[in-house]
Amino acid sequence: MAKKSKGRQRITMAKMENESNLQVTFSKRRSGLFKKASELNTLCGADIAVIVFSPGGKVYSFGHPSVELVLNRFLNINQQPPNQNNNMRFNEVRPITIPTMNDYLTQVMNDLESAKKKNEELKKIRKNSKMPECWWEEPVEELDLAHAIEFKGLLEKLRKTVTDEASKHLQATFPLQNFYVGSSSGAPFLDGAYINPNLDPCVQRRMFNANAYYNQNMYSPNYPLPYGNNNYAGGFVPEYNLNYMQGFNQYQNQNQNLSFKEEGFSENERHQDGHPPHL
Amino acid sequence: MTRQKVKMAYIENESSRKATYKKRKNGILKKANELATLCGVPVGVIIDSAYDLSPEVWPSREEMDKVVSQWQRLPVMDRTKKMLNQQSYLQQRISKETETCKKLTKENKELEMKEVMFDCLSGKTSPSRIEISDLRGCGNVIEQYLKNLKRRIEILSKNDGASSSSVHAAATTSAAMPIVEMGSSSTAFSDMIRQQQIQSNMNQTVRGLDLNQQQW
Repeated sequence: MAKKSKGRQRITMAKMENESNLQVTFSKRRSGLFKKASELNTLCGADIAVIVFSPGGKVYSFGHPSVELVLNRFLNINQQPPNQNNNMRFNEVRPITIPTMNDYLTQVMNDLESAKKKNEELKKIRKNSKMPECWWEEPVEELDLAHAIEFKGLLEKLRKTVTDEASKHLQATFPLQNFYVGSSSGAPFLDGAYINPNLDPCVQRRMFNANAYYNQNMYSPNYPLPYGNNNYAGGFVPEYNLNYMQGFNQYQNQNQNLSFKEEGFSENERHQDGHPPHL
Repeated sequence: MTRQKVKMAYIENESSRKATYKKRKNGILKKANELATLCGVPVGVIIDSAYDLSPEVWPSREEMDKVVSQWQRLPVMDRTKKMLNQQSYLQQRISKETETCKKLTKENKELEMKEVMFDCLSGKTSPSRIEISDLRGCGNVIEQYLKNLKRRIEILSKNDGASSSSVHAAATTSAAMPIVEMGSSSTAFSDMIRQQQIQSNMNQTVRGLDLNQQQW
């Protein structure tokens, strides 16, 4: 087994020799530099411009309010570039978006940190709960043929039990009889297919669609179940509950559309949505 | 002593802000220097603030002039391709981090469901006690596992064609799931049968699932 890296090492302040390491370093440090620049602007309100050329000759730049604007201050050019005015107006009109974005980013970073912690915990649990007699918990690649076949059979059985449980819940949520209780006409059911001819076809369609929806997603519906909202978590392993997403929900409602469809936002500044992660 | 996490927002306290500005400005210039030195690339930084009369330029006005000329020599397209301001930068970071978070959450869910699956197999719990919302996730993990298993069985069956008959014999006699040495040679099977017969006498029953291998 190769020796693990010694961790962070002191680095000599001279041009790096290894070409690929240099590329990686450039990428990481450039990214870090931009982050620091962004933070300086956010925290202290300083305007900043950073221009960096890559080893390959490409240029990366970061600037607030814009690279050109700050550059021009340095160059003392009186004549403004064409889109200069737009940028100025842009910032005056909606200075509020940057703080909002920073808050949003902070929230995402917090969620990420929680997810990382959870990941470590789960891996630890797996490591600790591994019992020597449970050969099926070993990676599949290490199983011999007999075990693999036996395991397959057992898993198929388990799968059946799980799907049975799922359809049980389905039944519980949409017991077709209940919808027809109290129907005014008292007309009989048609061949046990539970179709009430007096029901509005739209209602019937809606119910049918709801059923299909539930089939697809098999998630706990947001409305109360006929037999109450049984939370099975109590009986099972409580530490598996992910509660960290609670705080994120406020952002789901507030800033659902990160494309910022407010006035004045130019089309070409729209990036792909940064929606909060869905479980 | 661990540092306090700084809230990423404009610092209202004036003296605090000024102090932070001084420290961070120096930090940025240091980092810019390291980047330029380690990677041997041109770097230019301009910082304009209320705390300095004229904009601070790094490395120096002359060097910055060189960077600017190189910059201006590039076609506008190349200049602006990777140009960012606060909005675009933050948007980029948000997208990236959200993506990472999504992937990790997904992985966590899968790991969780794997635990559930193993617990069901070893009898620590049963499907009836699984949360409704987790049933689907559990089913997916089971499917994935089955896919891998089928592949593994295929590979092994190809290599081990001769001992396929003894495979059935071995599977039929297992009543529990005891430890056996791993290995796909045919001699291991007979060892396994013997061991299983011994261990089936021991009380290693698995609760919850019906292990009668009636499909064989």
